[in-house]
Amino acid sequence: MELDPIQMDALAELGNIGAAHAATTLSQMLMCPIDMTVPEVHAVDIADMHSYIGNEISAVVVFQIQGEVADGGYIVVSMPRATVIQLTNQMLGMTDTDREIDDMDRSAAIEIGNIMISAFLDATAELLGIVMLPSPPALAIDMTHAAFESIVAQVAGDVNDILIFNTELESEAPPVYGSIYMLPNTELMHQLFHMLERLMEPIS
Amino acid sequence: MENNFFSEVKAVILGLGELRVGTCPMGTIGLGSCVALILHDQRRSLGGLAHIMLPESRGSVDRPGKFADTAASTLLAEMEMCGSSKFAIAATLVGGASMFEFSANSLNIGERNIVAVRDVLRDQGIRIVHEETGGRIGRSVYYWPEGKGRIVVKRADGTCARL
Repeated sequence: MELDPIQMDALAELGNIGAAHAATTLSQMLMCPIDMTVPEVHAVDIADMHSYIGNEISAVVVFQIQGEVADGGYIVVSMPRATVIQLTNQMLGMTDTDREIDDMDRSAAIEIGNIMISAFLDATAELLGIVMLPSPPALAIDMTHAAFESIVAQVAGDVNDILIFNTELESEAPPVYGSIYMLPNTELMHQLFHMLERLMEPIS
Repeated sequence: MENNFFSEVKAVILGLGELRVGTCPMGTIGLGSCVALILHDQRRSLGGLAHIMLPESRGSVDRPGKFADTAASTLLAEMEMCGSSKFAIAATLVGGASMFEFSANSLNIGERNIVAVRDVLRDQGIRIVHEETGGRIGRSVYYWPEGKGRIVVKRADGTCARL
């Protein structure tokens, strides 16, 4: 997959807008400031994916990108186990952080993922002038790399590299940390580039 | 469970779609729906590992380790070039989990991978001696080809097993 620097930049900027909206919703839910890293875009060979996606136990919430675009791209929120427990506690007014993940945590992880990703897709779709919606979420609480394998199997059947967009969100109090990933399939990626190129054309 | 894999100088980690035949320790980290196919030749302390991602190659040949059908035949061919004969080779399968709850079937490709690997091994006449597959759990697998071959599986819940 060959990407020129302008395409990389355009995609990073698109993601930046999406992630900023997702961070805002998280900040409103937690009533605390959220820091966000500058988004990174990588074209990664599938054989090297383990250098980009860690293998610690995380809650991985996955959505397929749907709407006025080709089906088959995915968007993912991943949070370490401690963050999920912290978020549930925060929302339910509990304080015990030294416990196992339970059904309430699973439900909270899905709900927070849902709210963040809806904001992400809303903002990016508005910029592009189209409608993008998340599918119902799927959840895995497991090795992060293991969860990502299923997604890569969907987007990289015919190609050997994938585009990973990644940004990280963080708050100090409460101590929560999460990442948003976008993995477009080839068709969706071309559509996004095409729309972004049109946006960047000078107004005549 | 003793696991000195990462202190081995020659150990290699195989990413998605990679395969390798040799005498060095081999491993894959974070197997979900993918399947690690390990072929071990007891007579030669030699083996091969493939990190299989999808069941069928549908004619694609550039990454043989990516698909069940091409991975098995390529591993066998490379091992035969190193002097192995088919009846000395035994297979171990690890992985093929269904990682997601509340998901459409498209994300749960693990089961199809397992079936495809079993089918191709049966066609090739290779016996399966160990299997740790399916379920809803991620796994890492480490394989040392020396001697009778040693395989350690580490599961996402922290438990380890020696196959």
